[in-house]
Amino acid sequence: MTTPQTKKPAWLRVRYDQTQVKQVSQLLDQLHLNTVCAEANCPNIGECFGTGTAAFMILGPNCTRNCHFCDVPHKRPAPVDLTEPLHVAQAIQKLGLKHVCVTSTDRDDLPDLGADQFVRVIQAIRHLTPQTTIEVLTPDFQGKTPLVQRVLAAQPEVFNHNMETVRRLTPLVRDRRATYDHSLAVLRYAHQHAAPGTYVKTGIMLGLGETDEEVYATMDDLIAAGVDFLSIGQYVQPSPKHYQLREWVPMERFQTYYRVAMQKGFKFVASSPLVRSSYKASAELAAVGVTR
Amino acid sequence: MPKLSPKSDQYFFGTWEKQVGEHIQKGEVLFEVESEKVISEVPSEVTGVVAEQRVDEGATVKAGEVVGVVTVQMIERR
Repeated sequence: MTTPQTKKPAWLRVRYDQTQVKQVSQLLDQLHLNTVCAEANCPNIGECFGTGTAAFMILGPNCTRNCHFCDVPHKRPAPVDLTEPLHVAQAIQKLGLKHVCVTSTDRDDLPDLGADQFVRVIQAIRHLTPQTTIEVLTPDFQGKTPLVQRVLAAQPEVFNHNMETVRRLTPLVRDRRATYDHSLAVLRYAHQHAAPGTYVKTGIMLGLGETDEEVYATMDDLIAAGVDFLSIGQYVQPSPKHYQLREWVPMERFQTYYRVAMQKGFKFVASSPLVRSSYKASAELAAVGVTR
Repeated sequence: MPKLSPKSDQYFFGTWEKQVGEHIQKGEVLFEVESEKVISEVPSEVTGVVAEQRVDEGATVKAGEVVGVVTVQMIERR
């Protein structure tokens, strides 16, 4: 960190609760678990850890891809930890989570691209805390639908894969291996092959230089692919080396996108600056009446 | 200065919400600090009086550094 970036808006002001953040952090350290909250330096970490919520990031802290918006390290990943599924389930049990979000780094180095670890984690959670609803936020699995199918067969309540941005900006914002059409194909496949009771979700960031028309075109693509839930949040540039923030998007535009998205037919839309994929994610299931 | 971010130990000091000589309750915001992604309001861990402000607004501070002093007032039990 060298210089403060563009002046931050007031809504990026959060309360820090050191005691509660420490408690959750210690539990995660004991179980050798990573969270996307910590690895991505999420602005909501104080609030979420303070209320005993965490989004687990499986398959290690290092990612094989180098997306220009993301703060997760791009390094050679470690071998798969086969004790991780049990540890995730134990942490969920200790934290008493009713809903959990499980995401991962991209693992282009593995033959299964990490799909089977998602399955093992889902199975471990079902075994230890069967009342917990599960949301997986997966990589694009290079668009390989048999791998998407393996995860769908484990029947998470929510299958989430993030588009991240509009079509034009995708090659500028994401790793060159992550294409708009791969991601759309993953979501379409998930919609067509998910078991009843599994909802399909995606998310985009604003402030990257997208236009209204481009956002609406992306919404149309997502509706056509059968996506149920959409999350829209503000991009916050992790460091001066990352993709340059173009705009702090005004709240009114988030509200406009919410209205338009609901009119287009999404079942649930979260649209607000601090919305992240996993932030208060159980609300969407409550909106469609799903509990376990 | 508490460690606000698991991945960073260095922050930009924002504003003092309480000035020297002012009384502060435990849990009230003492100062704001800016890290890469967020502005954090840091509450006082004790009830007392702000005795010293050792850093200026806009300064670079590290986790663990003493940025100020709050004097705890002893309550006499009779």
